[in-house]
Order: sequence, then structure tokens, then C-alpha cells
Amino acid sequence: MWQKLSSNVFGRLGFLSLSLVYACLVAACLLSLVSEGDLSFGRRPLENLLQTASEFSHPSFLDVWFGNTHLEYRSDDGNVLRVEDRRDIESRYLHGLATATWTTFRIATLGSLLAALLALPLGVLTARNLTAPQLLRYGAKAILDVARSIHTLVFGLVLVGVVGLGPTAGILAIALHSMGTYGKLFAESIETLDIAAIDAVRGVGAGPIQVFFNVIWPSVLPQFVSNHLYIWEFNIRDSTILGVIGAGGLGLLISEATSLFQWGRLSTVLVVIVILVSSFDALSRRIRGALL
Amino acid sequence: MREETVVWLESVKCRSGGHFELQIDKLRIDQGERVAIVGHNGAGKSTLFRLLSGFIAANEGRVQILQRDLDSQLSPRDLLKLRCDVGQVMQGLHLVQRLSVIENVLIGCLGRFHGWRSWARIYPESEVVAACQALRSVGLLSSRHMRTDRLSGGERQKVAIARLLLQRPNLILADEPTAALDPNAAREVCQLISQAATGSTLISIVHNPALLPLLADRVIGLKSGHVAFDQPVAAVDEACLEKLYSVGRSGGAKSTADAERSAKPSATMRCAT
Repeated sequence: MWQKLSSNVFGRLGFLSLSLVYACLVAACLLSLVSEGDLSFGRRPLENLLQTASEFSHPSFLDVWFGNTHLEYRSDDGNVLRVEDRRDIESRYLHGLATATWTTFRIATLGSLLAALLALPLGVLTARNLTAPQLLRYGAKAILDVARSIHTLVFGLVLVGVVGLGPTAGILAIALHSMGTYGKLFAESIETLDIAAIDAVRGVGAGPIQVFFNVIWPSVLPQFVSNHLYIWEFNIRDSTILGVIGAGGLGLLISEATSLFQWGRLSTVLVVIVILVSSFDALSRRIRGALL
Repeated sequence: MREETVVWLESVKCRSGGHFELQIDKLRIDQGERVAIVGHNGAGKSTLFRLLSGFIAANEGRVQILQRDLDSQLSPRDLLKLRCDVGQVMQGLHLVQRLSVIENVLIGCLGRFHGWRSWARIYPESEVVAACQALRSVGLLSSRHMRTDRLSGGERQKVAIARLLLQRPNLILADEPTAALDPNAAREVCQLISQAATGSTLISIVHNPALLPLLADRVIGLKSGHVAFDQPVAAVDEACLEKLYSVGRSGGAKSTADAERSAKPSATMRCAT
């Protein structure tokens, strides 16, 4: 009787009440924002949108081929102040963009590798099915949880103050944040291991290190590589924003373009980011597919 | 040959979650014996095996395997040495899936082969030759470079037996080695195991009565943690097994599966009364 009741309460009724709580939460968020008058689209949303879209639709890199070679800037009384060769300027910008992209790629790559190396021992320690000493396990888990809950940007802001502007801060920021994610994924792939297979190897009298290298390592390596590619891919996306806080790479160009309202250039940067991310995505998906 | 005692249990009790999983007053198995253990699910067969291979410790009593006492004084080093001498064929198919067949067999020599080379899976030539021989005797030499997860169930169990052949243990524990195998493969695996056990002691857990004579001369029936009978294989007949499996029910023939399903709760009830 009691069991039936409790399974009902925690079953369907429980789900219903959870849904109700969720609905109330959404309503509270929405209504409070509306009542505070903070939920507005500005004064001329449509015109602004159209203007931005039209500027976005002329990405600046087109000027390399179609730009005006002799653009004159004149004062109101007709004096020529400055003459620009748009093609030359934009091709130099593209060159800078390529360097920044390369920097972003380097930050993501080195940061991910560093994170993986840092997370490997921590992940092994936190895996529930390997019998690591209790204290070490909780310590490692705490480090991973803290690392995972602090955003890359926050790490970046702090590290720029510590090691100065530039890619070093970016690499360290990526490494510290991804370490948490890596550790969790590593521990999870170790936890899916076949314990009986491990016991079978322990059963022939193999020591802990032998067990690690003969069963655990070969079984989890493909998953580790797959996790690594996945987070690497994620970090390439993530590191494009790091330049905004001065940690090197494409982000600096983004913040430059947005603060000068150069939507055309922003559009060029975004095209590069989309190409970079999606091509790496496709590549890593292929490799991961081949591995498993 | 029979003078040497391989397994010696004395008033052993294993507790798990409040109730006794295993209570054995006295059990002695000598060198060269072939013993089968039968009993319903949850009778304590696997617990007994985990006890014999040193994966769990007895709560009370004395456990002696190959003249060594399994107690808290046994150092981890001695435990590893003991495990070298105890070979296991596990229930189900527990090989390292991503390693090749021969690498799985070579794991059998890890007990006597140490150092960094064993971490990098670089094995000495003599062990590789021995592993090839072991694979030839189970008929899997040609597929030695295949990954283990591509093999069929029977073939995987043969790989486990080849590992056992390379390990050359004094005591072999085979926990339902024929589970999930078809009758022909089961018979073949049983023959291979008893070949591998020539000269050493074999203890196996068996459910299929037809396979009993292949693997054992002596049969021990376990019933909710107690030894129900201990007799030569010739004396074990259908009625005897029926009685063992159908604990707590009165009269009427029923299928073994049915008996197994109902075995555990009714067994505990019987114990309580």
C-alpha cells in the first residue's frame, strides 16, 4: 500500500509537480523582467536589424578584389584629406586575420593538450571503479569540479593579470577550464570498463601497474582520443572569444570590429571562424568515427 | 599425489549485507582432484570462488590455498604470487576486447614477467612461442592477430583457456565456463579445460548435468551457502540435483529454470525457520 502510494507520488505526480515548478520558474523569470521594463527591443529594432544585415552582407574581404583602389576622403570644403587603396588595406587586414587565426588555433591546440595531460591523473583518481585512496579521490574530484565550474573567460581575465597579455594567458585559461571537463569524461570512460575483465587479469597475479597498462589503458585509449578531439574542437570555438579580453587570437579583431561598428570586417572574421570550426568539426568527427 | 592439500576451509563464514553468503564447516580438496560445484543461483558458488582467488576475505574461519593462509597477514606480494598459481576461467567472456588474441593470451604470463616491458606489452620471445603453442592447442593459432571482440563466444572462451595454458597454474577455477555456449562448443570447451588441468587441480562451477562427468570426479552441492552434499560424480543423479535446486518447495516436478528463479527467497525462508 505504502509502496504503491510512494511510487505514485514519485512517479507520475512527481513528474507533474516538477513540470509545474518549471512552468512557474519560467513565468517568474519572464514576468519579472517585463515588470521591471527590461524586456525591450529598443526603439527601432527593425531598421537597425536591416541596416546591420545589409552591412554584414558586404564582408570586407570582397574589397580585396572589388574594392576602390583610389578612395578619396575629402573635407567639407572639398580638400582631399587622404587617399586610400581599399584593396591594399583589406589584403593587409586579411593577412593580420590569418595570423590571428593561427594564434587562435595554437591556443586551442596547446591548451587542450595541456588540459588533457593535467586531467589524466585526476581522472584516473576520480574513477569510482578504480580503488584510489578515498582522500586523493575527493581531492581530485574537488579540483576538477572547481576547474569545470569557472568559465574560460574568467580564468583568462585572471591570468592576463598574472602572465600578461597574449596567447600564454589564453593557453592557460583553456587548459584550466578544460581540465575539469576532461577529467570528468576520462573518469566516465574508465567507469564503463568491464570490471570482470580487470579481475581476470588481476587473477593471473598481475600488479596494479601491469593491470593499468594491459587492460585499462588499451580499453580506454580510443575513448580518450575521441574525448580529446571533441574538446579540442570545442576549444577552437571557445578560444575565438579569448582575444576580447586580451588573451590573443581572433577575439581581438572581433572586439575591434564591434567597437568601431565595422560590421563588414566582423562579417569577414565570422566567415573565417565558421570555416575553421566547421572544417575541424568535420575532420574530428571522421577521426572519431574511425576510432570506435 | 593425493597427500597434498590444495584447498582447506575450516569453519569459514562470509557475510555480505547482514546475511551469510557462505558457511562451510570443513572442505578439503587435494592435489589433482577434479571437483564440480553445483547449486542454485545465490547459493554462494561465486562467493566461494572469489574467496579462493583472494578477491574477498572470509569474515571468520581459516582459508588455506596451496599451503598458504589467506588472512590479513598475507602481504600483497604474496597474494600476487598466490594468484599466479591460481588460474581462472570466468563466467562470461571477459577478455580485453581491444587487444589481439595473442596479447590476451600473453596476459597469462604477467604473474612471472615484470618490469617496464610488461607495461609496454613487449613480451620475451619464449613467452610468445609458448603463447603460440597454447593457441595451437585450442585451434586458434591462425586468428592470433585478430581483435578479441571479433571472435565468437566459444572462440573467446578458448582464448581464455589458452591464457590458462600459458599461466600453468596449480589450481584452476572455472566459473561456468560454458555459460552462453551452444552444446557442441560447451563440450569442446570442457574437454579443453580438463586437458589444460592435467596435473593440476580443477574446481569448476557447472549447471549442465551432462557436462559434470567431463569436468569432475567429485561433486559438491551448495545450498544457500551450506554444503548440501559431497560425493563422487557417479553418485549424482537427476533426483539428487532436483532436490538441490528445488529448495523450499514441496513435491511436484518443475523445470530447473523455475526452481532457480524461486530458489533464493525460498532458500532464505527455509533457513529462517
